[in-house]
Amino acid sequence: MIEFRDVAFIHDNGVKALDRVTLKVDAGETIAIVGENGAGKTTLVKHVTGLLKPTSGMVLVDGIDTRTTSTATLSRKVGVAFQNPDHQLFSESVKEEMAFALRNFGFPPHLVEQRISWGLQLFGLEEYRESSPLVLSGGEKKRLTLACILAWDPAVVILDEPTVGQDAIQKERLAGTIRMLGSTGKTVVVVSHDIEFLWPLQPRVVVMKSGHIVADGPAAELMAKKEMLESARVAQPQLVSFYQALAKRPGSPFVDALEARRWIEGGQR
Amino acid sequence: MWLSGGFIFRRGTSRYHKLDPRVKLLISALMFVTTLIVRSVFQLVIVLAFMVAVAAIATVLRRVARTMVLTATFSAFIFIINIVITRNLETSALYASRFVAIVVSTSLFFITTSPDELEQVMKMFRLPRDVVFAFVTAVRFIPVMMLDALQIMDAQKSRGLELEKGNFLRRIRNLVPILIPLVVNAVVRSGELAEAMESRAYGAVPRPTSLAVYRARTTDRVVAVFAVLTFAFAAYSFYFLLPTFLP
Repeated sequence: MIEFRDVAFIHDNGVKALDRVTLKVDAGETIAIVGENGAGKTTLVKHVTGLLKPTSGMVLVDGIDTRTTSTATLSRKVGVAFQNPDHQLFSESVKEEMAFALRNFGFPPHLVEQRISWGLQLFGLEEYRESSPLVLSGGEKKRLTLACILAWDPAVVILDEPTVGQDAIQKERLAGTIRMLGSTGKTVVVVSHDIEFLWPLQPRVVVMKSGHIVADGPAAELMAKKEMLESARVAQPQLVSFYQALAKRPGSPFVDALEARRWIEGGQR
Repeated sequence: MWLSGGFIFRRGTSRYHKLDPRVKLLISALMFVTTLIVRSVFQLVIVLAFMVAVAAIATVLRRVARTMVLTATFSAFIFIINIVITRNLETSALYASRFVAIVVSTSLFFITTSPDELEQVMKMFRLPRDVVFAFVTAVRFIPVMMLDALQIMDAQKSRGLELEKGNFLRRIRNLVPILIPLVVNAVVRSGELAEAMESRAYGAVPRPTSLAVYRARTTDRVVAVFAVLTFAFAAYSFYFLLPTFLP
């Protein structure tokens, strides 16, 4: 679905944000991109929507070369929920806010209405249909931005730091939404610092550092590699640290994070 | 981008950057006045050459050059309007190039003077504290607002907005999804800033102390005297020595 082929990106000021990045994300896969600030995570996802074009190499989205395709065309396939919802909300009402992208993509009026109702219902925003999006709470704004994206049914959904400013309940709901998206065959890319949020989702994890991909694999496998995570300035999930510490005790029944998780989920070893 | 290149301070280590901000203001003010008293394009070219030399000393030549190129678009507009109205090539060229010179003279001050220095200079002129604070905060927030604007544009483009699509009116209308979040964010941020300032005792005393107190050094005095003498010589030359129009 998404393919980075030896991609490098250099900013106007000469800073190399991506360096020889090669990555393939299959359709229906849920992938988390983690790394410290400035590691190149957001730069990477901006290449998927064509907001940034690679300095060298190429990015393919569903076989389309992003270098020669406009963001408007690519965004029909790729929906991005940016970190700050206040950067996109501008309409008079929640309904109009949802209709904005649908009209841009040329949806017929009856379908626009249908998609708006569906999105508002899915994210529990029905009661705010006629309210201004600017008066919603932080969590509601975040849900609205997600509803706006899902309304046009993109094949790829990118969430940039989705948990910023969200309380525990909202995070739980968001995790449920990501699971739902995964189960409906969407390709989901989550860019986040919030390892505790990502861990229960058990996505494929890509660890970035200084514009490079330093590790790529299942969460259970990568999150057990404490030294690698520390070198990329990524915190290990508390659960993994806890069970690794337990595993070090003589005669401990715990072996690794994956087994610990199975134990937690299954209630027995 | 035009603002970013021409008016936003970036830290520098040149001797010009280290000058007392009052001296830098004096130099820019004198260059500004000089652009207004020149009587021909030929004289203005000399003034611009002097400005370029100052930019080279301040190691901001590339930024100033970029500002000049971008300002040339507006300058061309001024030229066209003047040529239509006055039908005088020399006068039109003078007004158009004067605009470039005015922008460069002010830009040289802003790109080499930090907002903190600017604040001190304004305080030295005994401007009301609230006015100084409002002005300096506005200057300080230009890069933040520019970053906001870029992020908003990215967000809206990702929702299918095509800024370059359609006729002139459509393009203007396309800016609405950019401008509304930008203004709303600015208003929200100003409220947050006011609360943050008040919670740190802003306005608690009428005359707060200052961390940096500027005292002119010998170098600053020498440069200031040199600037005034150069200005006096330029003014005299433009009126009595150099020809008014190109030979």
